[in-house]
Amino acid sequence: MLGLFLFKIYPIFLAIWESFFIESFGVGGGKIFVGWENFTLLWNDFVFWRSVRATAILTVVINPVQISLALALALLLQRRSRHIRLIRSLFLLPIGIALPIATIIWGLMLNPNDGLINAMLGIFGISRQPFLTSEDQAIWAIVAIATWKGVAFWMLFLLAGLEDIPRQLYEAVRIDGANWLQRHRYVTLPMLRRTILFVLVADTATNFVLVVPMIILTQGGPRQSTNVLMYEAYRTGFLFQDFGKSMAIVTILTSITMLVIALQVLFLGDRRGANK
Amino acid sequence: MNGMLRKWPVIAWYVCVVIGLVITLLPFVYAAAGSLKPNHLMFSELSPFTLKAFLPGTDPVAYFNIFEKGFGRAILNTLFVSCTSVVIGLLVNSTAGFAFARFRFHGDKVLFAIVLVTFAVPAEAIAIPLFIMIRGLGWFDSFTALIVPGIANGLVIFLYRQFFAGVPNELIEAARVDGLSWWRIYWTICMPLAKPVTIGAGLLLFVFQWESYLWPLIAAPSPEHHLIQVALGRFSTEFSAIWNEQFAASTIAGALPLVFIFIYQKQFVSALTGVDLK
Repeated sequence: MLGLFLFKIYPIFLAIWESFFIESFGVGGGKIFVGWENFTLLWNDFVFWRSVRATAILTVVINPVQISLALALALLLQRRSRHIRLIRSLFLLPIGIALPIATIIWGLMLNPNDGLINAMLGIFGISRQPFLTSEDQAIWAIVAIATWKGVAFWMLFLLAGLEDIPRQLYEAVRIDGANWLQRHRYVTLPMLRRTILFVLVADTATNFVLVVPMIILTQGGPRQSTNVLMYEAYRTGFLFQDFGKSMAIVTILTSITMLVIALQVLFLGDRRGANK
Repeated sequence: MNGMLRKWPVIAWYVCVVIGLVITLLPFVYAAAGSLKPNHLMFSELSPFTLKAFLPGTDPVAYFNIFEKGFGRAILNTLFVSCTSVVIGLLVNSTAGFAFARFRFHGDKVLFAIVLVTFAVPAEAIAIPLFIMIRGLGWFDSFTALIVPGIANGLVIFLYRQFFAGVPNELIEAARVDGLSWWRIYWTICMPLAKPVTIGAGLLLFVFQWESYLWPLIAAPSPEHHLIQVALGRFSTEFSAIWNEQFAASTIAGALPLVFIFIYQKQFVSALTGVDLK
């Protein structure tokens, strides 16, 4: 029986193994050893550096946006109220929607000529926006789509964290005369620190490989503004058939991801861990 | 005046909730409504904008058209792949979870740590190396390539392990004394107890396959293996001007998992996040 499980876990095993080691040395699935050649090629590749830039911009924007909105939503839905269960369920709906579906529907809604959003902006006298067809706005449109889809999921963890905070703490600072902002500054944030760190790490890892909107809507454009590393890896492998280079990009992306996560844990982790 | 002051947080709360709900529900309403309209209406109702854009039409022609364009094939493929994955996946992962919970073997801790690591690795990150591996096995462009990599699931193993570890030892001991084999204990005692986990985990495996996009896109590109999300993506580029059909296809692809998730929301959320909804 044991052998069976080992065999079944093995694919995951091997997949991780491959993503870390083998890839950078094979070219086009062949077994030619090229050493670091794929990496040096990338180092001198202008497109690759544009792609690093796009990834950096996306990461810096999307993670804080998603986490602040998730936290705001969690605070909003924490309140006991009539119909709160129904309201929560409605907010959770995007979790059940696949990202390609969300992408396609939002893509049509954000259509620059005939889209719903521009039509609605028109009521307020705002001129038509180019959204996904503009070098400056495309990345923001993708942030919006991914956030719409993702925020409720991260909110769930924060909501659970909020409900674990003892009521007495809030009572205590309330008696001390703390206002709304101070209550959250001195009670909610410190108490929620571990949950927020977990959500930040998991969200960062997820967004580093965000690629579906790029495949369906922008193909990395316009002018490479949404050509993140994961899309560059996909493009290099499946459109140009250069798997060695593609794997090198995946390896770099994985390393960057782990580095960023390590930094997050280092700087935001529980520095008083020894006391606990 | 004092009354107003006490009320304003409540009013602010309602305003925020309503704004949030509008943004959350806008795409659902718009897409579902649009899927039931002839295509030209999609455009005329928006220039200028009228609220009619959110009212459902009564013309199901888009739904007929997408089936003529082969969307039914993608639905059947996806149902086949998803259901197979659920059945095999539940069996394999629950036995694995049982082993982790009940047996002490050499390296069990390390192995379980690896299981935990796997659900921190996003599927997209390993898609390209996995592709090389699948191609090496000769599974490229087959249902095997779609089903097998999705079966072993670290999160599902974890869920079963946690549950089985909580089954009282006396119960297992008693069954051992009665001469039941481990297989019988697993199948006739533990699995029936684990029904809530099985519902959540089954749903997880189903939704995982139903909503996967990048993997089926690269692993099985020919149309006879298209899964629903891939078909949808192709649709949106190939017939990019035919909005009502894109909305119809999206509605079908979105509705099915949503129905299940809505019914078993508690189990699904607790399986996915470990959070108990109250």
